Amino acid sequence: MDKKVSVKVCLGTTCFVMGSANLQELIEQVPKKYGDKVDVSGVPCLGLCSIDWEFSKAPYVKVNDEVVKEATVEKVLATIEKHLK
Amino acid sequence: MFIDIDCSQMKKYNQNAYGDYFVSKRYPDEARLIAVLSDGLGSGIKANILSCMTATMLLRFIESQQISIRHAAEIIMNSLPVCKIRHISYSTFSAIDVNDDGNAKIVEEGNPEFIWIRNNEVLQPDYEIIQSKTFKNRKMKIYKIELKLGDRLVFCSDGVTQAGLGGGRLKLGLRRDGLIVLLKDKLKEHPDISSSELSQYLVNQARNIETDRNPKDDISACVLYFREPRESLVFTGPPYHQSKDAEYARMFENFKGKKAVCGGTTANLISRELNKPITMDNTISIGKLPSCSYMDGVDLVTEGILTLTKTLEYLESGTTDIDNAAGKLVNFLLDSDCINFMVGAKLNQAHYDPALPVEIEIRKNIIKKISDVLQNKYFKKVSIKYM
Repeated sequence: MDKKVSVKVCLGTTCFVMGSANLQELIEQVPKKYGDKVDVSGVPCLGLCSIDWEFSKAPYVKVNDEVVKEATVEKVLATIEKHLK
Repeated sequence: MFIDIDCSQMKKYNQNAYGDYFVSKRYPDEARLIAVLSDGLGSGIKANILSCMTATMLLRFIESQQISIRHAAEIIMNSLPVCKIRHISYSTFSAIDVNDDGNAKIVEEGNPEFIWIRNNEVLQPDYEIIQSKTFKNRKMKIYKIELKLGDRLVFCSDGVTQAGLGGGRLKLGLRRDGLIVLLKDKLKEHPDISSSELSQYLVNQARNIETDRNPKDDISACVLYFREPRESLVFTGPPYHQSKDAEYARMFENFKGKKAVCGGTTANLISRELNKPITMDNTISIGKLPSCSYMDGVDLVTEGILTLTKTLEYLESGTTDIDNAAGKLVNFLLDSDCINFMVGAKLNQAHYDPALPVEIEIRKNIIKKISDVLQNKYFKKVSIKYM
């Protein structure tokens, strides 16, 4: 089945300083690797840090409905693979 | 009417301080503006001190409202000491007290006469001369004029009118007539030029006619332009009471003028309440700041605190034309005359986690600082509404 996977990188203040600034690589790599099967974009804020502020695991990335905590390029790529299966 | 005011200056060749001093202050509650330009005797530090003292004292006298501008100027005129060697007064000055309706009172002592332009013609206002009681050769001119939309006033130090003096082409310098020609030509070309650009242009032209482009005196040009205000609104931070989100979002939507949203949560709030989707570029960061996003009917959407902090830094240092979100916000702010801030008081606890790699300022404080620099350095009208 050709389901499109959506990847949303949180660019809110907390996530940005905690490392989403380093996820630019995703924007470049993912289309090369998966073509138009995966859609990556930034979003102004996923609103996750303020809910769980005591145990914040920023930066957050959402792959479809799954939240990737303390996201790195590797973690996000692994989650995309999972969702593509 | 909005009064667009700016002053550009250039130091005398080989000096490290400005000998002319310009000071201006807006009084939003009274819809009033006072500006003073003073030229200190000589040049360098000494002239700087003399002109700075004259200008700031005159401004204080006028703003206190206990005495009229006429009386204030008279006191200064009668008290300014005379240089023992040159036998001329320690400083000269021009001052204007004007309100948003265009009623202006102007005093001049020793500075070149101001130029009043309407429809690209120079007007010749009536004035009254007041002779100093203590110094025979000292007198000041007082004007009471009514300005209309589109009028411009140009004040300058004698460094402008005497530019090129003794040089090859203009033996008597640029003079008032030459300055008027420059002004009219420029205004014909750019009828809507801002005060900042026009004053910069005049100073550069004055410098260009000096021999070897080395100013032989301090050069200052102050321009006032009476026009319709350009209004803008910056919405940043979610309201303290979430129940008011819809109300504030509607206020944002109904605002007539340019609009900016600063903050990820704030952008989501506006998007949700006004049912407008947010789109983003295919980038994450530009210049160490999160990149901008886009929303229909909103001129600029940026991240919050980091962008605002950087914006404050740029405004303070006078850095413009930077291609990142803060640079765009700086341009947005500087292209406006009246800037309204709607500042949400809700805090995001996650921002105060000591584990964050950078310190995150409190929104209210940054806005307060941005507002101060916009008012004091860029002469903008600013209002802040907390919600």
